[in-house]
Amino acid sequence: MASLGLSELARYGFVDLEGTVSKLDALVTKVGDAGRAALAELGLSANPDQALNALLDLADVDKVRIKKILGKPELSARLVRTVGASSAMVDLLRRKPELLSVFEDRDRKLRSPEEILVRFRAAANSSGETFDTKVASLRLAYRTELLRLIAFDVTAPDPIEAFQEVSINLSDLATSAMEIGLEIARWELSETDAHGSFSKAEIDATGLAVMAMGKCGARELNYLSDVDVIYIAEPLSELISSERALEIATKLATRMMRAMDGSGVEPALWQVDPNLRPEGKSGALVRTVESHVAYYERWAQNWEFQALLKARFAAGNEDLAEKYLAKLQPMVWAATGREGFVESAQKMRERVTDHIPANEVDRQIKLGPGGLRDVEFTVQLLQLVHGRTEVLVRVADTLGAIASLAGAGYMGRTDAEVFTQHYKFLRTIEHRIQFSQMRRTHLMPESEIAIRSIARGINHKWTSETLIARWEQVKQEVRLLHQKVFYRPLLSALAKLGDAAALTSDQIVDRLRAIGFIDPATAIGHINALTSGLSRRAAIQKQLLPVLLEWFAAGTEPDSALLAFRRLSEDLGESHWYLRMLRDSSGAAERMTRVLSASKLATSLFERQPEAAAWFEKTEDLKPIDLPSLLGEMLAIADRHDDSEKVANSLRGVRRRETLRLAMGAVLGTVNIGELSQGLSDITESYLTALLEFVNDTGLDLGVVAMGRFGGSELGFGSDADVMFVYSKSERPESDQKNAEALIAEIRKLSADPLLEFELDLDLRPEGKNGPVARSLESYAAYYEKWANTWEDQALLRARVIAGSQALRDGFTSLIDSYRYPENVESKAIVEIRRIKARVETERLPQGADPKRHLKLGRGSLSDVEWLVQLLQLSNGAKFPEIRTPKTLEALDACVESGLLEKHDATVLAEAWMLTSRIRSAIVIYSGRRSDVLPTDRRALEGIARILEYPRGSATALEQDYLSYTRRSRMVFERVFYAQ
Amino acid sequence: MDKQRDFVLRTIEERSVKFVRLWFTDVAGTLKSVAIAPAEVEGAFSEGLGFDGSAIEGLARTYEADMLAMPDPSTFQILPWRGEIDPTARMFCDIQTPDGQPAAADPRNVLRRALAKASDMGFTFYIHPEIEFYLLKSSQLNEHGEPVPVDKAGYFDNVPGGTAHDFRRRAVQMLEQLGISVEFSHHEGGPGQNEIDLRYADALTMADNIMSFRTVIKEVAIEQGVYATFMPKPFTQHPGSGMHTHMSLFEGDTNAFFDASGQYHLSKVARQFMAGILRHAPEITAVTNQYVNSYKRLWGGGEAPSFVCWGHNNRSALLRVPLYKPDKGNSSRIEYRAIDSAANPYLAYALILSAGLKGIEEGYELPAETEDNVWNLTDSERRAMGIQPLPQSLDHAIRKLEESELAAEVLGEEVFSYVLANKRREWSQYRSQVTPFELQQNLETL
Repeated sequence: MASLGLSELARYGFVDLEGTVSKLDALVTKVGDAGRAALAELGLSANPDQALNALLDLADVDKVRIKKILGKPELSARLVRTVGASSAMVDLLRRKPELLSVFEDRDRKLRSPEEILVRFRAAANSSGETFDTKVASLRLAYRTELLRLIAFDVTAPDPIEAFQEVSINLSDLATSAMEIGLEIARWELSETDAHGSFSKAEIDATGLAVMAMGKCGARELNYLSDVDVIYIAEPLSELISSERALEIATKLATRMMRAMDGSGVEPALWQVDPNLRPEGKSGALVRTVESHVAYYERWAQNWEFQALLKARFAAGNEDLAEKYLAKLQPMVWAATGREGFVESAQKMRERVTDHIPANEVDRQIKLGPGGLRDVEFTVQLLQLVHGRTEVLVRVADTLGAIASLAGAGYMGRTDAEVFTQHYKFLRTIEHRIQFSQMRRTHLMPESEIAIRSIARGINHKWTSETLIARWEQVKQEVRLLHQKVFYRPLLSALAKLGDAAALTSDQIVDRLRAIGFIDPATAIGHINALTSGLSRRAAIQKQLLPVLLEWFAAGTEPDSALLAFRRLSEDLGESHWYLRMLRDSSGAAERMTRVLSASKLATSLFERQPEAAAWFEKTEDLKPIDLPSLLGEMLAIADRHDDSEKVANSLRGVRRRETLRLAMGAVLGTVNIGELSQGLSDITESYLTALLEFVNDTGLDLGVVAMGRFGGSELGFGSDADVMFVYSKSERPESDQKNAEALIAEIRKLSADPLLEFELDLDLRPEGKNGPVARSLESYAAYYEKWANTWEDQALLRARVIAGSQALRDGFTSLIDSYRYPENVESKAIVEIRRIKARVETERLPQGADPKRHLKLGRGSLSDVEWLVQLLQLSNGAKFPEIRTPKTLEALDACVESGLLEKHDATVLAEAWMLTSRIRSAIVIYSGRRSDVLPTDRRALEGIARILEYPRGSATALEQDYLSYTRRSRMVFERVFYAQ
Repeated sequence: MDKQRDFVLRTIEERSVKFVRLWFTDVAGTLKSVAIAPAEVEGAFSEGLGFDGSAIEGLARTYEADMLAMPDPSTFQILPWRGEIDPTARMFCDIQTPDGQPAAADPRNVLRRALAKASDMGFTFYIHPEIEFYLLKSSQLNEHGEPVPVDKAGYFDNVPGGTAHDFRRRAVQMLEQLGISVEFSHHEGGPGQNEIDLRYADALTMADNIMSFRTVIKEVAIEQGVYATFMPKPFTQHPGSGMHTHMSLFEGDTNAFFDASGQYHLSKVARQFMAGILRHAPEITAVTNQYVNSYKRLWGGGEAPSFVCWGHNNRSALLRVPLYKPDKGNSSRIEYRAIDSAANPYLAYALILSAGLKGIEEGYELPAETEDNVWNLTDSERRAMGIQPLPQSLDHAIRKLEESELAAEVLGEEVFSYVLANKRREWSQYRSQVTPFELQQNLETL
């Protein structure tokens, strides 16, 4: 064949060109001209190099036969393409050259189940007198038919269209093998005593049926997988008792399984898996019909009913099988009405996806995203939701089920057609991967050559790129189809457009309830409102809602999230950017659904400022704005207008906007607790500073002193702003006090906000509620000198001047420093602080509150940690300037540095303080309300835990964590605070 | 599980059981029981039986009233003392919160958690307790304000025709009918004092068995017109009632405590486990010895295990390594002697197990063996040998418990703080008593 150029060989699809030239010559030498004729067929095979090597090998084994086969084009095609596609079959033919006869048969049609059975039985009967020899020839007969089937598959004009026929034949081969396996087992049990002594009469009186489950049950088996079965046995006459029949049947079933999967001269076929039976691995292998029924009536789990969907008679006594199906099939559909049925089916799906190793996800044909499992899951879910009322859709196999769902109107015709094609495509790939080496795998091979073989096996013109590109497209479409087929029809507005299944409202209710909506009727109202009309908004929402519904259903409260979305949409729906963001921005819509379904606080603020939806687009927008920018913006507003209401309104708007930003960031995890409390403090600081700037037209140097948590920049959502006011005396001191009081009254008036409460708390000022709301620097000095209590000195530890002239700030700070960081602390003062703390613990705790759960005053919680820090600061601040800070965590660190606190103790205190602060914020985010008590309601605990990024189902874990952190911190507190 | 449920439902039918009692234990170790009709059993299996948890000591906080009792079908037994008329059965229950999570304050759940940890480390925990109790003529006190025992016999005495003998025979018979195997039973040191040893079982089964045992003993006593008490120390002058507990860890079928080459054939695992128990013994004593009265037994002299030490066949040691039986590697075990008969077995075993496991995890070193009778040593000698005392009063034990991270973790925060609060209350009530001792000593002289 010297005439053939290398490039021509390449065109035929050979990879090893140089070697091929000599191999072709060798073939011609061995089988003559037939070898030349084979070239065309080699070019059509999946892997020409492998096929050519195989022909050379086989010609060595049986030159005559190969010559004969290659000489006839229709025979040659089957052999060449089979050995090109399956190295496993090459091995088989080398081992058993007599099987080459398969290719000499001109008839390439697949055999009927009856024919197969006849052949298998003849093989078993004709050979030998032992279980092992009979089993070996049964297995060889099976492999002969398998070879015939692969030859059929690889020569099909369109393998994708041939898939169903192949799959049915594979199922028939499996059930026939089990039938004959069972016959062999019966023969063995009555002829030998190897497995106990039973009379032939007894064995004959034992009825045993094998039910095929799973893929075999649905007649959609693939080339190599476990065959799922369930056994049923009963006595057929009075001759034996039920117990005896079960004993015999168990032996028969066990031996039948060994005939399929036991080791032997001829290798095993496949594993028989009986674990779908009642009670799984620990249950009895064989049961009577009655016992099956009793089990399913009482104990069966939801998924066990789901498995029954595919049960079919496989081997043994068919009457028993019919009795079994007649009793159990109706129960499947009764069970789908059980609470949580569909939900548990969905959870199972999630688990499957979670367990795929990360490095295999992209290569998974079955379990990966857009894989076979996605198709099967969608189809089964629809069957479960609608099969209860619709008999027509109760069909076992996937393709049949798709057709029936479309026929009965539960799936659009076009969608059904696409689903069918994609399912067949994926299964065809799977088959080719499996039969190439007869391995049980659902992974796309890694090597380019192997992928190329799969591609050429489907269409010899395809390259590996063609296959991968098509596959990627199918995966993507399958992923979308689930959402399209399940969720889109929930929008009845779409039905009128005719591109989706038109469901009745009852059918929509079934689906919505199935995915977790508690009140489907109301949800339908929202969906209709969102999608009706011809507006651009309705059009875009029609596109979006199916996927949004899926996300809402994944959250904790789909009903209220959908309502919030509707409100938002009604406020914003016509804004161009909003619709564009929802439609185009990846992740924005999902982030929005998360916020809506997790946080009442964010949802309620959001409804007032729907334009905040824009932030979902970019993570940077969900980060707090820093103090200088915020203050700059607020001061500019104060500067811009003269009308006080206008200014106040604009400032309130900014404050609400930034609070919402922090709330959203906290839900989505873009803002941590440190940033959150700093951010909230910054908002309050800018707000007050800007207001003061605006109202102060008197020229009075009025300063604001932040106190308490505000002073420490540790505000939470809904915290009051503790402040004091101080001024420096002007040239006309007699009017200063009056001016200051008027300014403060104005600030109070303007700062109030009915929508997002703002509470200015002046109670920490000298003389408390009875004292003047502002004082001059001198007056403060006089007061602290003469009158101040120890607790007032202590309160000054967290004072931080946030407004006023630099001179005033410095003056006030140096004044209070001498009180809060005194050179000498009288021991009386220390005792006094300890006493007050002890009293506060009991007196201020609300009636009946559990001290273990009180976040502010409770055991080991905020006030314990803060008082301890303050006591250390008060006693040592003069000596160790580094511990002078209003911030609790900073102070704890500094106390360790200065040797005032053990590192371990500081860590315990800091952890308790952090967790408590985070829980307090999470409570407000979750419920929209402030509470100082760890909730006891488990649902609330769960919601809070989720915001704190605990996994699903962590109510108890959160409680346990809080109680143990605070218990430890209390132990430190008691040791350090009370016992110095 | 399902087979066991089937078995339960079938047995209820076959034996015409009229009532099924659902049993569970509160934090203090008191058995609680609620009877349901056979028709309700199936529902109780699938959905549990709702009850008001706040009415049970320490079980639930008042705001968490709704609790579910989930019967454990593997514990189903017909109660023998009910006879054939209106047969009654019982099952132990696990307690759940309404959202289906195990209740934090269910002692059975506390033990389950500890066992799960052992199982993660590859161990099964086996237990064999020797339970002592007194038989009294009645619960009435005599004119000296003391209880009256049924006999005046002593250790291993056979009392012909005696109440105690009949009593033990009947009790053993009933226990066997309940599926609880008895190893041994004999008369103990004090008058009317008896001991019954239960054959070893895994810790959860054994804790259930101990709860059943107490009920059986009380029932038989009623049947025979006497009174049985598990009070740790009912008589000043006679020994208290302990519950010495033999323990072993198994890895599959092999005894993890056995090592043919080790001292007393103890493996490294055994030595570390012992070290764990010894190190943590003081802090768990408030649970293993939970009453004011328990400390009268611990510090009542005789052979009471008052000091933290171990010995081979040393009858005064807290932890004893019993005489080894040659060729019986699987019988290797250690005996903890502090627990008394009034302990909550679930909590006590959970803590002892966890203390031992901690020793294994952290690789504690076992201190040297104590060969002397520790009671005969002087305080200075004991100090020199590094032998600590167990807490000397409930108050002392509470203060040790308060600081125990181990106990907080094993019991869970809820049970931990409940136990502390409960014990503090008991101590403060006890402390405010004026006792006969004070009156005798002081009234006439002061």
